[in-house]
Amino acid sequence: MKKCERKLKGNSSGQLLIIAALAIALLISSTTIYVYELSKETNSVHGSSINNFVLALKQTTKNTVLGSLANISNGGEKTALTNNLNRLSQVLRRSNHFGICHLAFAPLSDSNYDAGIWFSWNTSDMGISSAYATITLKVYGIAENVTLNYALNIITAIAINGYYTKLDGNEKLVNLTCNVYNEGKPALAKNMTLFYESFGSWVPIDSSNNLSIMDYGNSTYHISFIVTTSANNMQVSTHIHDLRDIFVQANTTCYEA
Amino acid sequence: MNKENKGQIRTIEAFFAVLIIFSSFAISANLTITQTITRHEDLASMGLQALVKLDSDGNLGKFIEDGNWTAIRDALNIILPAGVCFNLTIYNEQMQQINTEVISNGGFSSQQIAFTEYICASQGTVFCCYIIHLHLAVAT
Repeated sequence: MKKCERKLKGNSSGQLLIIAALAIALLISSTTIYVYELSKETNSVHGSSINNFVLALKQTTKNTVLGSLANISNGGEKTALTNNLNRLSQVLRRSNHFGICHLAFAPLSDSNYDAGIWFSWNTSDMGISSAYATITLKVYGIAENVTLNYALNIITAIAINGYYTKLDGNEKLVNLTCNVYNEGKPALAKNMTLFYESFGSWVPIDSSNNLSIMDYGNSTYHISFIVTTSANNMQVSTHIHDLRDIFVQANTTCYEA
Repeated sequence: MNKENKGQIRTIEAFFAVLIIFSSFAISANLTITQTITRHEDLASMGLQALVKLDSDGNLGKFIEDGNWTAIRDALNIILPAGVCFNLTIYNEQMQQINTEVISNGGFSSQQIAFTEYICASQGTVFCCYIIHLHLAVAT
């Protein structure tokens, strides 16, 4: 019996060696594949490079529209938006790193917007500077093609209201509250200039008027100053540049509190 | 006959066992190479994302307009992970290099160099477009 077992052991020891080697190989392969699959899942989160490139271009077009609005609101030509987007389109046509890029755009034209630009500066208590364009971005890559359609709407708006209290004679203490918004969200002003109307002309308000501007840091500004005027309804104009250099102005009428 | 060939069969069996184990190592090594290529693409993607982040509030365009190359280098040093080497070149619309200083955080010792391109439009009132070439490598 023992002899038979020894014989069997002796005959099958080589096969056992191969089976053991197969088991070890299987363990090594499965561990490597498992680790590889795990890392592959993490990589897929990052997305493909062409998608990242398209998203980067989206930001570039946004900056172009933003810069154009800053230019036009500060007295630049209204055609600046179209011209700048055209220039960007030409640059993109020459960029072939990720494939052939094609940028098409359409500035909005309706009752408010003219060539993608809208300024509402004369309405009472509210001022708006805005640019609007729809963009179609196509990237024809080697592995894949990506098309992205989106609208860019850049808005800088201010809301202003206030009242005055009479001091001695014709002296009036004016209190204003001003709110600044970028794309409807609270934003900050880079600088602020104020004027009041006196006999049909706008007079700038400065330190001689005890001008005080309190910045609450949450887009709200409290402004106070003293003027000497006989008018009962005081017209005040606020001019601001936001942090993106976009200019906007709003007028308000102050009544006695 | 069996006794005479026993030694040779054992040798062949051992050879097969070694072959099986080594083939598993060979397959694993191939998978690692594929993964290195993916990491290489990730590096380029990481670089592009760093530039997008830097330009999100218009700072990149502002630094270029001011010729503040040190600020760009410092910002990229902060945004990119430690151990990543970069070399940045900025061109204008006519593809003329405009950075007068080298914008880099050291020499490239790695053979795996990733490349990415970013188009930067300035947010300033005067429109300018810059083509940015970023080379990246993992420091060894």
